[in-house]
Amino acid sequence: MSVVGVSHLTAPVEIRERFAFAPSEAELALGGLRFRSEVQEAVLLSTCNRTEIYVCPGGSQHVQKAAQRVLSEKAGEVVGGTGQYLYRHDGMASVRHLYRVAGGLDSLVLGEAEIQGQVKEAYARAGRSPDTPPLAGPILHRLFQSALAAGGRIRSTTPIGEGAASVASVAVGLARKIFGGLEGRQVMILGAGPTAELVVEALGRDGIRGLVVSNRTYERARELASRLSGHAVRFDEMSFELAKTDILIASTAAPHPLVTRDGFRRAREGSQRGPLLILDLAIPRDVEPEVGSEANVFLYNVGHLHEIMDDNLLKRRSSVPEAEAIVEEYARDFLHWYGARGVVPVIRSLRGRWDDLRRGELERLWQRLSHLSSDDRDLVETFSKQLLNKLLHDPTERLKGGAENGRGVEFIDAVRYLHDLETVEPETSEGWEPGHEEEVKGNEMDVPLADDE
Amino acid sequence: MIAFVLAAAGVAAHAVALARFTVEYGQLPLNGLAPSLSTVALIVGLGLVATLGLGEGRRVGIVLVPVVILLEVVAVSLGLEPAAEMLDFEGTWFAFHVTLAFAGLGGLAVAFASGLLYLVQLHELNTKRMGRLFQFTPPLATLDRLGRTSLVAGFTTFTLALLLGWLWTISFRQSFDQSNPKVLWAIMCWLIFVAALGVRAGDGVKERRSALASVVGFSLIVVSYLGLRLVSSQGGFFL
Repeated sequence: MSVVGVSHLTAPVEIRERFAFAPSEAELALGGLRFRSEVQEAVLLSTCNRTEIYVCPGGSQHVQKAAQRVLSEKAGEVVGGTGQYLYRHDGMASVRHLYRVAGGLDSLVLGEAEIQGQVKEAYARAGRSPDTPPLAGPILHRLFQSALAAGGRIRSTTPIGEGAASVASVAVGLARKIFGGLEGRQVMILGAGPTAELVVEALGRDGIRGLVVSNRTYERARELASRLSGHAVRFDEMSFELAKTDILIASTAAPHPLVTRDGFRRAREGSQRGPLLILDLAIPRDVEPEVGSEANVFLYNVGHLHEIMDDNLLKRRSSVPEAEAIVEEYARDFLHWYGARGVVPVIRSLRGRWDDLRRGELERLWQRLSHLSSDDRDLVETFSKQLLNKLLHDPTERLKGGAENGRGVEFIDAVRYLHDLETVEPETSEGWEPGHEEEVKGNEMDVPLADDE
Repeated sequence: MIAFVLAAAGVAAHAVALARFTVEYGQLPLNGLAPSLSTVALIVGLGLVATLGLGEGRRVGIVLVPVVILLEVVAVSLGLEPAAEMLDFEGTWFAFHVTLAFAGLGGLAVAFASGLLYLVQLHELNTKRMGRLFQFTPPLATLDRLGRTSLVAGFTTFTLALLLGWLWTISFRQSFDQSNPKVLWAIMCWLIFVAALGVRAGDGVKERRSALASVVGFSLIVVSYLGLRLVSSQGGFFL
């Protein structure tokens, strides 16, 4: 199999967004890809940080180019061409890549959890596509199931997803640790910066009593308030609103603090003085540091939030070697399965090829020994079968053994080359249905060496 | 749901064990430090089951479960046997009085644990850290609500226990020994309840004041109790 894609590691956001597929577009594109090439199975993963096409069978230049063409057609004209932003992985490298993606090891924010759901959704969409057979056949089914299991284990057994790793998630974590739930809380945004908007979106609107936006330019405040289903207030009404606020998010571009200690005391005088969380996301700061020493005020500026994020990211990074080991373990398991799966048709083909030779030679022999009785012919035929079985016994056993210890792919390639079996067709996904996935069982590789054995 | 079932099973097993104690020794587990602590643990455990049943979830369990375990560990390590000395009073009224008093002290124990965790979480938030302690400790609002509820419930039951004891004494003994260490200690406990609730009044950070008062108050009760037991071991009997 192969993967061709673009991600945050190879392209900036303005390029990545051009490669992004809507779910309905993905199905059409993959259907077209299968129609135009020898691709049998395909899954398209499209998130805000990556767009990737996993195809099976991979390996050939033609398949990779066909997948690349699907992405390039979506992106359209790009200065310098789309090729400069794309990466390609083949065989085991593509398997490892998917496991790393599902485990959050390849994410913009190391260990982020959303990617697991996105991988699952991409695979599920390909599995339930109206195409027959489904876009995700037996090999990609196994690969994606295994990748999701690897991702799940990485998250449950390593601290890779622990601790908030973005300003918005740190803010949410703080709010939850102060207020428990956000039900009935009043939120105020000071300024109309994009980070404040992100934080409000992360906090979620469920249960929040009210959202107020205040900005020097009232029109911008109204614009943001309408986007966030809140209401705008004029800048001079900010103090009045502050008295009722539980969470204040400040992100103006003002050159001096807008919330001073004296102003804050005046605003909060006579109010219930419940806890107040202030997230000062502005540089220079919007809130005087002295406000943080007021009773029941929890003031966090950009520096504090980044310190928390850096601490968390450090902990996440320390778990990377452990996560990589899990990726390797799952990749090895997949390789075993894949190798074992490929061995069966090769053994059949090997047996068929040598049996054809045997039959051909016997035909020639019967012409020269036409005087032989029927019993004698049977004797010779049995001898030829037994000889063939003995000759093929060791290579077959070694091939099966290789598949079991992870060298199946390597051995299959060698056998196909040495015995000129290059034309052996790989197993297709024709007639395959999700849920009827075969397990690698002992008797699966017990291909009889002779019909009458 | 799993937490509720497990907690209910644990409390049921504890109740069976104390019932066996009652049958074996012919008296309720209210006489002596170890049986008393075990009874307090049972009462706090019942509070946990009730809280889980009401849907407060595992956040409260983080406070209550360690309290129950600590009380039970101390009780078991002291040896679960009744005190050698016989009690002055016995009977239903007495059992009711002591159970209410234990419920009150159990409430204060829970307020102590919530208060301690509140102060820990407050420290984490003020030092701008989000380490394991921060992750583990419940939100400030939850801890404050639990502490306040425990104090109110504890104060109510403890006050009822004192009133019952006083009424019983003056009804059946016609005299009330105000210099009895038990009476003085009980009044001190009651005053600590009043103080812990009283600090919630007024301006400022009442949640922090209340948490601090619960921690200091409960510690005072434990220290004074141990002190009185030490003194009484050389003379008379104290609880």
